[in-house]
Amino acid sequence: MVEDILVRAVEKALSMGASYAEARFHSNRGFQSYFLNKQLIGASHMDETGVAIRAVVSGGLGFSSTSSTSWDHVERAVERAVASARTSSARLKKPVVLSEERLGRARYQVEEKIGLGSLSEHDKIGMVKEEMGSVELDVGDVKVQSFTLSYNEWVEEKAIVTSDGARIYSKIPRVEVFYNLSAAHGDRRANRWNQVAGTGGLEVFKESELASTINDDVRSLQISLAKAGSPPRGRLDVVLSPEIVGLSMHEAAGHPSEADRVLGREAAQAGLSYRVELKEGYAIGSEQVTVIDDPTIPGSYGYYLFDDEGVPARPRVLIDKGRLAELLHNRETGHLYGVGSNASARAVDYRSEPIVRMGNTYLAPGDYSFEELLEDVREGVYIKKYMEWNIDDYRWIARYVGLEAYIIRQGELAEPVRNVVLEVSTKDYFSRMDAVGKDLTFFAGTCGKGEPSQPLPVWMGGPHVRLRGVEVR
Amino acid sequence: MSVVDDLVSAIESIVKGRVDEYSVKVVRSRSVMVKLAKGEISVTQSWDDLGVGLYIARDGKIAVLEYETSDPREAISRSVELIDKLEKSPLYAPLPDASGEELSFVDPRVKEIAESGDASGLISDLGLEELGEVAGMIEASYWEKRLVTSKGADFGEEGTSFEGYLRAFRGEASGQWSWVSTSYDVGLASRAVEKAVELAEECSKLPAENPEPGRYRVLLSPMIAGNLIETAARSLSAGAVFFGFSYFADKKPGERVASEVFSLRETPRDSSLPFFAGFDDEGVATRDKELISRGILKTFLHNTKTAKLMGAQTTGNAGWVLPRLFNLHVEPGDLSDGELFDALGNGLYFTNNWYTRFQNYPQGQFSTVTRDAAFIVKNGKPVACTKRLRISDTMPSLLSSIEALGKGLWQIKWWEVDVPTRLPHIIVSDLGISRPSLEGGPRL
Repeated sequence: MVEDILVRAVEKALSMGASYAEARFHSNRGFQSYFLNKQLIGASHMDETGVAIRAVVSGGLGFSSTSSTSWDHVERAVERAVASARTSSARLKKPVVLSEERLGRARYQVEEKIGLGSLSEHDKIGMVKEEMGSVELDVGDVKVQSFTLSYNEWVEEKAIVTSDGARIYSKIPRVEVFYNLSAAHGDRRANRWNQVAGTGGLEVFKESELASTINDDVRSLQISLAKAGSPPRGRLDVVLSPEIVGLSMHEAAGHPSEADRVLGREAAQAGLSYRVELKEGYAIGSEQVTVIDDPTIPGSYGYYLFDDEGVPARPRVLIDKGRLAELLHNRETGHLYGVGSNASARAVDYRSEPIVRMGNTYLAPGDYSFEELLEDVREGVYIKKYMEWNIDDYRWIARYVGLEAYIIRQGELAEPVRNVVLEVSTKDYFSRMDAVGKDLTFFAGTCGKGEPSQPLPVWMGGPHVRLRGVEVR
Repeated sequence: MSVVDDLVSAIESIVKGRVDEYSVKVVRSRSVMVKLAKGEISVTQSWDDLGVGLYIARDGKIAVLEYETSDPREAISRSVELIDKLEKSPLYAPLPDASGEELSFVDPRVKEIAESGDASGLISDLGLEELGEVAGMIEASYWEKRLVTSKGADFGEEGTSFEGYLRAFRGEASGQWSWVSTSYDVGLASRAVEKAVELAEECSKLPAENPEPGRYRVLLSPMIAGNLIETAARSLSAGAVFFGFSYFADKKPGERVASEVFSLRETPRDSSLPFFAGFDDEGVATRDKELISRGILKTFLHNTKTAKLMGAQTTGNAGWVLPRLFNLHVEPGDLSDGELFDALGNGLYFTNNWYTRFQNYPQGQFSTVTRDAAFIVKNGKPVACTKRLRISDTMPSLLSSIEALGKGLWQIKWWEVDVPTRLPHIIVSDLGISRPSLEGGPRL
């Protein structure tokens, strides 16, 4: 039993002088298939299984991992983690202390309504090809030159034992589809990539309406390439779709709320945060803006019930009616802030230390319909889909460039425009959000952070929103 | 027999007779990494990994099996059956005959640190105790790999890597720089550390100024140029062409894709940078090659599969399914460090960036955000420090606007530069810069 080895590893670390020890069995096993222009290129199996050890010795933090579950290798990993912790402790001004928590002793797993094992790989490939059969790659005189798609399913299985009592076992299956469409109209070319994903079994794929989503993206490319005109410039009212709102919640509210980032622990990688200076209670947006991160949403891509330090998960309110609220904490940052952990410690695989991460971040819905958001816009822009985005490392200036966008004239959608650029400060963005729709929708993403890099599944969500008088280029 | 050799033999015996072709790669690696934040060690990490990759083909069908586990033999035995469930691949081409050569470089000190997991010397050797509020990472790695194919390849290599980056803070200013080598080159690392500190200090002494959005002459540091030029090298992978992620898809070898002062090489035989290799994943010999020579596209990067589809020859860049990149090298120009600002005259000097994203891959339309020290340069002198600007342009336009290059070369690899790249400072004569209004923003 691997859990016996984890218990033994924790005991070994304590016997070597650790004040805290944590052992995690972590396995990701999956199947992928790859398609080019609807033809199967090939397929793969992967299995990454190993054990991660964290130890605190004299206030220093050490991590080590091994791609083996045999006691010899795990014991060596414990010795390396303890030695690493001693190295860390040699130059500490502030020792690492983990917050005291009511830790979980639980086993849970996500049920697969349609089991991943219920179809053979051959039949899964057939399932994807059948769905792609309904995709129309040529619309009018716009031709999709390259259509690539990958189908990816994997089961993440974890067992976590900590020296202060956590015992968590979890099993989470996930299904993900990623595709890219590259299209041309005369000399003009453009591309659209997209990701559809969630936790569960094959129902994630079957209920995703993938062909319809891809066809809609082909249509967006056609509009952008063949029909759209130049975008307007200046300060205008802008209505944003849930796709862009979800992304912006992740980028401009979620990442800056990560307490390790605020404390500078990621300063040389993912950067810092405006919350280094702007504290809880600061009015960053209108009263319409409430942003929540909730790992417990059933079916979500970022789903978990206990984090990788054994703390029970719950929704976290990051911005409450326009004011900065709680940060995302693990047990280390939760202790430093004196507020405890809110279960934000996640590791992507056995090679990774648990660090502060989001689960599923979204803007709480309001009560406007899409038509009501438009109706008193005299002249503005509706941005429906984007391709390019980025934000500075303090999370203060963001840029979203529309792939599919329309002029709004007298409350009605009018002609399409190409490459609308919304480049806006975080405060401007949240403060000018005067109306929030009721149509909350989630989108899958792969969040980047950590060194070594830990690409992690998340959902990002929001409804349509209206921004008053933002700068558009 | 080592663990690696033992596994390779076992896997060969599992797959022989069950598939037409196979390529087995086993890599054993050990690494240690120290992460710094606010001048303290935030965590020390170490890894002990055994990775197995297996390519199999039968009747034109292809599959890849990847394992990082205690012992993948049983799983492989089951997973070989995957090939029965597939269809002929439009990418399939027979594995080529073996032609690779073994190329190893091991620095004993780096190997010792990586194998022992003892990182205590890294901090003191680099003198980081004295630097105050710094953040960053230092990593030492050792690996050994063996590749065996059904076409007669049987090659082994081992190597070391010593790399890191440091972000130094001085008041509201910061500077960041990186280094990468296969040797325990403390001098190289120290120069990178000094550069980060120097940039932070220089920026902290200058007044803050926000330039208007527009088009500027720009000096790009090797950190930021490394990030952007890596996108060019990735665009030259035939895989990117097929998958719609290349901005060179409509170009052919012999056509102009950059200004005539710009030359880019791929250098797998350069064992001073850690992505060196004497053979690729198909057992073909790697070779150093010009990708862009004086602005002219020389070749796309191929394995045998993409070469067959594009009517070309493999360039020794396999990747089992798609081509991969080894080390990169940008040919230096003739400007000394002291001449860079004079050559820029009036413009902007960007020292670091992050978050490069493409609005439109086929046309190379992108933006990226500057971070750390960024300078306004007037009459060849830095006169102000600025921050949070964005380069918004197209890569074809940027490459065509390269006006001059420095002669000093830096070895760069960090969070935003995945491929070890040796390159100089680069002057671009005409680059689009944007920024929003920053009312009410944080000081930092």
